[in-house]
Amino acid sequence: MSFVPGKPVTAVVQKIEIQKLRQGDNLILGFSIGGGIDQDPGQNPFSEDKSDKGIYVTRITPGGPAEVADLRVGDKIMQVNGWDMTVVTHDQARKKLTKKKEEVVRLLITRKSLEEAVKHSKGCHPRQ
Amino acid sequence: MEDLSKLQPTLHMEDYDVRSAASILASVKEQEERFEQLTRALEEERRNVTLQLERANLPPNPAVSQPLAWQQVVMQEQSPSNATSLAMMQEPQEVVEETVTIEEDPGTPTSHVSVVTSDDGTTRRTETKDMSTNVKVTKMVKTVTTRTVRQVPLGPDGLPLPEGSSPLSSYTDSIDRRYMKNGGERFITPQATSTLTRAYNNSYNDSYCETPESQYIRHYGLHDGYADLTDNYGSLSRGVNFRPPRYPYMPNSYRPENSYTLPIRKDDYGHVAQPQVPMGSSTVDLNRSQPERFQPEPYGLEDDRRSLGPEEEEPYELEPDYSTASRRTLPGTNRGRTHREPLRDVHRVRGYPDDPIEAELIDERHPYIHGMYSAPLAQPERGSMASLDRMAGRRSPSIDSIRKDPRWRDPDLPEVIAMLGHPIDPVKSNAAAYLQHLCYENDKIKKDVRQLKGIPVLVGLLDHPKSEVHRKACGALRNISYGKDNENKVAIKNCDGIPALIRLLRKTNDMEVRELITGTLWNLSSYEPLKMVIINHGLQTMTNEVIIPHSGWEHEPNEDSKPRDAEWTTVFKNTSGCLRNVSSDGAEARRRLRECDGLVDALLHALQSAVGKKDMDNKSVENCVCIMRNLSYHVHKEVPGAERFQDPSALQAPGSAGPQRKKKDDAGCFGGKKAKGRKNGENDKNYDTLDLPKRTEPSKGFELLYQPEVVRLYLSLLTESQNYNTLEAAAGALQNLSAGQWTWSNYIRATVRKEKGLPILVELLRSDSDKVVRAVAIALRNLSIDRRNKDLIGSYAMRDLVSNLPSGQQRPAKNLEEDTVVAILNTIHEIVTDSSENARSLVQAQAIEKLVAINRTSQSARETKAASHVLQTVWSYKELRNALTKDGWNKSHFQPAVTATPKATKNGKPGYDDTTLPLMEKNQDGYSTIDQRDKECKYKADDGSADLTEREPLKNDTNRKHYIRSNRPAVSLVDACDVKPQPVDSWV
Repeated sequence: MSFVPGKPVTAVVQKIEIQKLRQGDNLILGFSIGGGIDQDPGQNPFSEDKSDKGIYVTRITPGGPAEVADLRVGDKIMQVNGWDMTVVTHDQARKKLTKKKEEVVRLLITRKSLEEAVKHSKGCHPRQ
Repeated sequence: MEDLSKLQPTLHMEDYDVRSAASILASVKEQEERFEQLTRALEEERRNVTLQLERANLPPNPAVSQPLAWQQVVMQEQSPSNATSLAMMQEPQEVVEETVTIEEDPGTPTSHVSVVTSDDGTTRRTETKDMSTNVKVTKMVKTVTTRTVRQVPLGPDGLPLPEGSSPLSSYTDSIDRRYMKNGGERFITPQATSTLTRAYNNSYNDSYCETPESQYIRHYGLHDGYADLTDNYGSLSRGVNFRPPRYPYMPNSYRPENSYTLPIRKDDYGHVAQPQVPMGSSTVDLNRSQPERFQPEPYGLEDDRRSLGPEEEEPYELEPDYSTASRRTLPGTNRGRTHREPLRDVHRVRGYPDDPIEAELIDERHPYIHGMYSAPLAQPERGSMASLDRMAGRRSPSIDSIRKDPRWRDPDLPEVIAMLGHPIDPVKSNAAAYLQHLCYENDKIKKDVRQLKGIPVLVGLLDHPKSEVHRKACGALRNISYGKDNENKVAIKNCDGIPALIRLLRKTNDMEVRELITGTLWNLSSYEPLKMVIINHGLQTMTNEVIIPHSGWEHEPNEDSKPRDAEWTTVFKNTSGCLRNVSSDGAEARRRLRECDGLVDALLHALQSAVGKKDMDNKSVENCVCIMRNLSYHVHKEVPGAERFQDPSALQAPGSAGPQRKKKDDAGCFGGKKAKGRKNGENDKNYDTLDLPKRTEPSKGFELLYQPEVVRLYLSLLTESQNYNTLEAAAGALQNLSAGQWTWSNYIRATVRKEKGLPILVELLRSDSDKVVRAVAIALRNLSIDRRNKDLIGSYAMRDLVSNLPSGQQRPAKNLEEDTVVAILNTIHEIVTDSSENARSLVQAQAIEKLVAINRTSQSARETKAASHVLQTVWSYKELRNALTKDGWNKSHFQPAVTATPKATKNGKPGYDDTTLPLMEKNQDGYSTIDQRDKECKYKADDGSADLTEREPLKNDTNRKHYIRSNRPAVSLVDACDVKPQPVDSWV
């Protein structure tokens, strides 16, 4: 999952579609994100590569839309509705996720278990 | 009404490689002879019984009708098919011929043994199969003979018969049952087959999930109901099941029985200390005998238990029998395994009671035992529970129908306690198990047991060699020791229960027993006066036997092996809970725990393993962190050699001398930084090159408590754990470690900052948990002894601190306790002291309004006082007064409310609550009390801008400010707290 901005990314991704939930005036997704190119990647507890400045799912509201959609803590968000999320600031990511006019968010995420599952199915060892 | 004799010799099979074929054959022959002898005796017995029955001049079928009634009840309870069962029962049965197939393991040759017993008394027995089968046959026969010994010969009245008159038919019958159960499905007699089927059906319908086995047995009891010895059969059949594992103990347990068998019968069990009314009178007539049968129900339970081979290895608490029983009835591997143990036992006692006469002699049993067999079989599990329930004032509906029969009763408490001293081990263990059940959530019974002097007896049983006995005793003690009634705990201690528990812990490898022991110790450890006793007797044992092995820590790690992770077993949880309790017993307790070999190392290892596995929410982790926190309390005063590490500057400044000294220093210094940092400045300056004391070897034992390395561990816990207690304890540990003036606390304070711990702590100020907020607030206060920490906390934690304060009468959402509010106020006071910058932050955080409100209106004197301190400190910064006046405040707002005088302020440490020791560090060295005038000086000196190096990056980082602003404001405070941006976390 090592990732260097500007270089091609290879990742096993999963599509996740989250139907936002209306809470008062807000539409919420029920998860929180961490990371971004303006953040200290060394503090990201979820990334394997501590230089990874990607956007990660840090918390999930139990029973919230994200949990329902099977998003998981530690997932790395690659795209939001087609927008790249691998080279964005934290706030850009947040804005893309919280557009008021969009009721549905389509994520491309990757997670370690996905990669491993694919590798196992291919029968080769995970590359280091 | 004749009973039918059925002989069913075999129980178990196993490979016996040890014995030669020849000896096996010889043995077979020998056994066969005995077998025949037995059969004859049996037949004679049968006639005897009949005669007696007739002589008794009873109504045509008294014995029959009686049991039948009961059994009907049972049937109704357990199975919708009772109608059929009853019908079956009434059918006369002339001959039963059964063929039983015994299977050992799948794939092993089976052996067929047919035994045909006609009512004329002749018995034919056929064996088939090869040599290996012969081995099995041998065993079967052996089993039979041995079993004979164990049978209770019962007269028509259900009481044990005098020797020579025992109705052997009864046990042969039971053997038969057993055989069928084990063996399975091949029945020559249709009747038997159908019975079996029905029995199995019953089991499915049974609401108590009984195993087929118990159902089966019960059914047989019913099936035989038209014979005189109805329930005896049932019981015996059950008894047969558990025979084998007992054998090794038989020689012991028999002797006492023999000695008093006859007297018992005559003098109403006078040897038993407690009165046993119904039992005594039960001999009088048939009807009365029933209660007796029912009474010792739990023994029946126990007996079941003993039958289970693997039970020794796989203990079960209350219903081992059933699970095991079901295993037994399963074909396949389980079964083979189950049989192994019993067979071994058979082998051991081989030849012991082969002689039928001798067997009969031995057969004379204590009525308890007798009762054990005649306990209602219908529901072995519920049965025992039920009897217990009744005693405890509860009822189990399932057996209520039995209950309604006034002739049946459970033993009362004195009886049960008396049974603890019974010579027969199963009686003891059953009584103990019964007590455990009775005591469960019943404080009254616990008290009664205590007053009836049951506790010393139970403690005595802890040293009993048989696991069954000490396990049950321990279970009872665990329940008794639980609860608010400390008298029970004291009673256990007073009869040396604690050393006995520890002894047993050393001795046993049985996980269940260990769980019970440590659970009991945990219960006991909650009572203050017992803590030291537990430490004295059990600390090192618990550490060596449980903590170290389960923590995964190794004294001398093998380089080849990977470090092991901790195992969060129940035993570990219990033991750590016990140590957690005892660790709060004061300085001596802490000293003992710190110096306990391997304890701190193991606890740290376990916690590191928890962090590594991200498994930090469980109780064991909580316990470990709590122990660590408690042991960290006053380390700077209590650990050996602590004086060598005392901070010299701190030594100069005890109590109120501090401010004085500082004042002088200020006067003499040019730069504010140096001056104000008198307390901490030097450390700060040196931090980057701070030399941790060099070590030639890695630290170990209690030294680990205060090594800067632990900071990361606690911070990980604070970041990751969801468990409030763990969070509180981890924050408390940091609080304890950062208190005091010694070299290590300087390191710790600096390390927390270096490891970016401040934002983690600040984040936790938002916790919903009162005690977490409190511990974090106090930790921040101690950390702010470090000047740089103070500046950072002042800049970035102020808003969160203030938001926890109540505004006027209105409490914040969290509604924090007084202690917490006071702690927060004291922390605020600490961070605005000596820092006008921080005081400015406080004003900007809209705190003045809240502080004034607390000062004026709080119901709590302590809150008022603490708020007043803060206000006075703020007002002391003259350069802030303009701004304050503009906001509409005047001097009167910053005056102490009526009660608190400035004098008091000066001397009193602001309400630092120390009562919850060792949760928090006592305010010492006077750092939290600062003279106002001093402060002004400080402030001026400060004004030059010290700590540029530390703050500058923050200030320059406009970019960060930008994104911080875009997030929820609360987060930004955390973020900006250190040089590097802290992880931002945005809900979307």
